[in-house]
Amino acid sequence: MPEEIVRAEGLKKTFTLSKKQQKIEKTGETRRIAVNGLSFSAYRGEIYGLLGPNGAGKTTTLRMLSTLIRPDAGDAVICGHSVVKEPAKVRDEIGFMTSELKLEGFFTPDYLFDFFGAMHGVEKGILQQRKRELFSKFGIDRFAEVQVKDLSTGMLQKVSLVISIVHDPSVIIFDEPTNGLDVLTAKVVTDFLAELKAMGKSILLSTHIFSLVEKICDRVGIILDGKMAAEGSLEEIAQGDLEKSFFDLYYSIKGETV
Amino acid sequence: MKLLALIKKEFHRFFHDPRLIVTMLLPGLVIFLLYTVMGEAIHAEPEKDAYKVYVQGEAPLITSMIEMAVGEEGNTVEWLPLEDMDAAKKQVEDGEATAILIFTENFENFLEYGADPDDFVVSVVYDPMDDVGSSFYMLSTALLQQIGMKFTIQAEPLVSEEHIGREIMQQILPFIIVCFVFSACMSVTLESVAGEKERGTLSTILVTSAKRSHIALGKIIPLACISMLGAVSSFLGVVLSMPRLMGVSMGMFGGYRFSAYILLFLLIVSFVPLIVALISTISTAARSVKEASAYTSVLMIFVMVISLVTAFIPVLGDWAVVIPVLNAVIFVQQLLAGTLPVWQSLVSVGMNLLYTAALVFAMTKMLSSEKIMFGK
Repeated sequence: MPEEIVRAEGLKKTFTLSKKQQKIEKTGETRRIAVNGLSFSAYRGEIYGLLGPNGAGKTTTLRMLSTLIRPDAGDAVICGHSVVKEPAKVRDEIGFMTSELKLEGFFTPDYLFDFFGAMHGVEKGILQQRKRELFSKFGIDRFAEVQVKDLSTGMLQKVSLVISIVHDPSVIIFDEPTNGLDVLTAKVVTDFLAELKAMGKSILLSTHIFSLVEKICDRVGIILDGKMAAEGSLEEIAQGDLEKSFFDLYYSIKGETV
Repeated sequence: MKLLALIKKEFHRFFHDPRLIVTMLLPGLVIFLLYTVMGEAIHAEPEKDAYKVYVQGEAPLITSMIEMAVGEEGNTVEWLPLEDMDAAKKQVEDGEATAILIFTENFENFLEYGADPDDFVVSVVYDPMDDVGSSFYMLSTALLQQIGMKFTIQAEPLVSEEHIGREIMQQILPFIIVCFVFSACMSVTLESVAGEKERGTLSTILVTSAKRSHIALGKIIPLACISMLGAVSSFLGVVLSMPRLMGVSMGMFGGYRFSAYILLFLLIVSFVPLIVALISTISTAARSVKEASAYTSVLMIFVMVISLVTAFIPVLGDWAVVIPVLNAVIFVQQLLAGTLPVWQSLVSVGMNLLYTAALVFAMTKMLSSEKIMFGK
């Protein structure tokens, strides 16, 4: 029986819509349920993919797991710590990467790696060793002293990735990990995720790219309208064709065409 | 360790960016140059002076020598008999007369062999704040000193220079200190807090296990130190240029005890973090640098009004020491006047530190609020 590393139970999150949002979306509703009673589990050494269209609630779910926002109801336990009651302990166990979190352009990758290492309380010797390994692996060493604002998009993504795992977390949470990347950088990232998995890390990612899920995920949760529409191993969910299975499910629930 | 890393990051950001250093230190230099040029223009010597001097006592030799010396410089002097001392002093104060020369009885007997210089006194009553009066005083006393040491020259400025210096400082310095401290704090804090929030770099720190209180302190402590540099730069610019602007000597600033400077330092050490904490809290609440800057500008007007209150209401009750900013203004005013009670200085510093702690607490709460940090 694999070890359960992440357990989400009945996660719920509601946002207030501003007048401007109401106008744009031509709706009179003032509250919107982004995530509605979501439950799932992820195990040690697996890659779990949250698949769904834009606005389904994937990012909100990952933000609740990373303790950036607090669930209105429900809870999630990561490595034995509650995201509601022990957010600081959860933050020590996870590495979170999303386009929402930025690195200050003035600093260099070298400085930021050391800074975030200190923020996570990583011992200096270990930090330097990790920096050498990761910078070399991702080709950052040649750009270690270049200010972040002068890096290419691909290199910036690699630096962000490396910094998010500076403290060697047990759980890695990636929101749309390959979005906006060129094919080469995307391959480096996906290969690294597979490597992390081989190292026994648990990875939670959100995506709307079927090929990414098919390539690296062990288990998949399909989110529609903030609810878990289907969950299982890739084989169970895909049944030979993940895209077809997804749209069959989508139409059966939404009852509409794309 | 985490707090130290946060503090070091802010210092690194500041001291490795020449633009930030220049923008922080430049105001002091600009103020110095501007005020000096203004002072030179205001106090430029007029082409010719027409002195109108009241005289009491007989000293025809002296007055004719002064007349000659004045004439050599292309100026004229009109001697008026002194009938009413108070009225004459009033005229000197009002700038209607230049000075009053008071000779002791039989003054010119000083020329006699064996005369005691202490028996022959000439007093010069003048207004040191009046350029014409000062120039007459300098000219006449220089001449009298040249004649010899057989009589005593007694200067009687209507108001002492030190007193004038203190008056000027009491009126202007509290306002200037408050304004410069505020603008120095504003220039670094808005960018560092609201800027980081707007760019999303603050969120990246929030994902780490650093305590929110450490993140708040990690901003306020270094920003307060940096702001102090800026405030000191501007303050020095004012202090060094003010004598020229006001047309008085630098000596007037030397009349304070060392303890006064220590108290002033204590005030700044407690006041700068308070202002930084205030702007940091506003910047944390704001959604963008623009929004934070708008709120802070309103706050600055409010602070400026408070710092001018004492000019209109000179006597305020003891309760004023608990009002932030107002207590700093009163502190500086009373310090300069030499009337600052120790209890009041300690309460003011204590209150500032207390308010700072409250603001650090508020900022910590804000950093934990997803509504404020992520606008949801």
